Amino acid sequence: MNIIEIEDVTKRFGSVVAVNTLSLNVPKGSIYGFIGPNGSGKTTTIRMIMKIFYPDGGTIKINGKPHDGRRLNNVGYLPEDRGLYKKMKVHDVLMFHGELGGGSDLKNKIAYWLDLLDLSDYASKKVETLSKGMRQKLQFIATVMNEPELIILDEPFSGLDPVNAEILRESILNLQKKGSTIIFSTHDMSMAEKMCDNIFMIYKGEKVLDGTLNEIQDQYGADTMVVQSTGGEAILQGIQGIEKINNFGKLQEIRLRPEANPQQIIGEILKKTEVQKFEITKPSLNDIFIRIAAPERKEVNHA
Amino acid sequence: MRKILVLFKREYLTAVKTKSFIISLVLVPIIMAGSFITFMIMDNNQDTTDKNFVVIDHSGIVAAHLEEQAELRNENAIFDPETGEKVQPAYILEFTDADMSDPSGQLAELSDRIRAKELHAVIEIGKDVLHPGDSTEEDYIRYYSETGFMDNVRGWFTNTINNHLRQLRVEELNLDPEVNRTLFAWTNIEAMGLAEIDKKTGETKEAERSNELQSFLIPYAMVILMFMMTLMSAVPLLSSVMEEKSEKIAEVLLGNVTPFEFMAGKVLGGVGVGLTVAAVYVGGAVITVSRLGVGDVIPMGLLPWFFVYLLLYILMVGSGMAALGATCNDNKDVQSIQFPAMLPVIFPMFVIVPIISNPAGTFATTLALIPPFTPTVMMIRMATPVTIPVWQPILGLLLVLLFTVFSIWVGARIFRTAILVQGQKPSIGNLFKYAFRS
Repeated sequence: MNIIEIEDVTKRFGSVVAVNTLSLNVPKGSIYGFIGPNGSGKTTTIRMIMKIFYPDGGTIKINGKPHDGRRLNNVGYLPEDRGLYKKMKVHDVLMFHGELGGGSDLKNKIAYWLDLLDLSDYASKKVETLSKGMRQKLQFIATVMNEPELIILDEPFSGLDPVNAEILRESILNLQKKGSTIIFSTHDMSMAEKMCDNIFMIYKGEKVLDGTLNEIQDQYGADTMVVQSTGGEAILQGIQGIEKINNFGKLQEIRLRPEANPQQIIGEILKKTEVQKFEITKPSLNDIFIRIAAPERKEVNHA
Repeated sequence: MRKILVLFKREYLTAVKTKSFIISLVLVPIIMAGSFITFMIMDNNQDTTDKNFVVIDHSGIVAAHLEEQAELRNENAIFDPETGEKVQPAYILEFTDADMSDPSGQLAELSDRIRAKELHAVIEIGKDVLHPGDSTEEDYIRYYSETGFMDNVRGWFTNTINNHLRQLRVEELNLDPEVNRTLFAWTNIEAMGLAEIDKKTGETKEAERSNELQSFLIPYAMVILMFMMTLMSAVPLLSSVMEEKSEKIAEVLLGNVTPFEFMAGKVLGGVGVGLTVAAVYVGGAVITVSRLGVGDVIPMGLLPWFFVYLLLYILMVGSGMAALGATCNDNKDVQSIQFPAMLPVIFPMFVIVPIISNPAGTFATTLALIPPFTPTVMMIRMATPVTIPVWQPILGLLLVLLFTVFSIWVGARIFRTAILVQGQKPSIGNLFKYAFRS
């Protein structure tokens, strides 16, 4: 059963096509990652799901029901541009968003979430006194505190330190366990790999990837070698059959040419240096992202 | 509706819980009452320092009488007969002959004495003052002082000199003293309201004396109150919506509520604030005047009209302000649009006096039926003692109702598009595009 069904949806801003004949199904209870370079159409797609923008063509159904102009109930939305009333107190902001979302037992929910995200001491402080990371967490609580059926998070991890990112990640997984469907857009590919059941990539308004991580990686085959050696990147230069080297410092990810023989390449490396780690693997999501988006680095201007 | 109520609650509580709101709620009546009381005190506490005058009497027939009258006044009129306290200044007159060789030099010298505060004024009486009209040059009475036109003392000289001149003219006619007594009787016209028959008792209610309070102060107070309520409740929506847009709060909320619900919540919050302030002030005024025993100065029959018109007025102006706020990106945009946006609200303030002087005239009637001006102008007209045909406030109300619905509709259309558009200026072209083409 799909909670969201997008069919042939197009959205234009003047002469710019922000999203072009997009079709996408989001299964109920899944975590769906939206990836894509800046300005590729992620936020526009999310805004259309949220009914903030009307598509110029195609249909979007939520729980099988088409667009009817009313706002969605039981949906939590964390937009890319965060906005909170600065002069309101933390507790009052959460009460306001909780009431707006039609929640009940709000006092207990607020206490639970403030405690979970380590914000209890700030309950009676004004929003303007909080740090950026704290505001981010506060906005996250406002989005999910009513445990809505569908949660849409636009860049939920941006600006968070690793500890808070981890807390947020656990909270999202918990919400999924409790039955929520979660869509989140991110530039953090490792987070997407770790968390998402399905990944959707949009590039220049077109869908370029859609499926589970395995399905996506299978499209590219096992054309990647991960090497950790004493010689580092320098000794890899000039070896036949290597198309591209992603240098991570202590570790290099090598993309092989289709005709290359991995055994031959490792032989070449062993001749030159001592190898600590060697693995033939599928390409990472990060690598796939770069393969698609890197040829043209220029960012598209529309949202 | 539930979401509108949640938004309304936040908007209303945020506005009324601020210190500035409570301070202005309390301060405004204090300042108004304070200035009124100060005026009364100042008016009663007249300057009682004696005043010196120089009189140049070219006619030779006024000086002696003036001297006699001034002495009489200084003996009888300047002390309170009960307390013996001095309540008026004494007038001390100095008589001087005209310097025919250098009249302007003499005047300049006397003027310097006025500037040096030795004298209060100089009175110059023309040679032919007894029979004016014979000569165009010499039948004047002139009063030279620093305060000139505004000086109340001038009135005493005007009356005293003219009464004496009349007396002299009558004496020349050798009339019967009995005729003389009533010859100068002067009857003021009393301004009265209209008589009416009480529909319940059938008794005729006598016409009451109309006064300044009824014909000017009540309409004036009502329209100022309405203007203030609008300033406090509807106009701030302009910058508050702009802030919600620039701070990206709007997008967060728009995931949950429709643009219409968002705008409605905000505008109703404004209405709530306006009605609260109005209720406090009107309630306060009613209690105060009843305690003072002059309860009937407040036209109770008008209060329902006042609140209905005020409600629609704030809705009408508020939805316009919210829509315009949605088109602004920063404070600069707000500043550039604020004055033109407020013109329809300010305009009736400029024409209060002509409307009060002739509330049933064509100008007032026409203006009262043009919706943006109806609430204030109709209230002014209804608050005056002049009878306005009953159909006019009703028609005005219907027109305002229609215009308010239109204003909310256009406002909501502009709002829903503009609130998410960044970087576009609030130009007339853009407003039109948002309202009718999207």
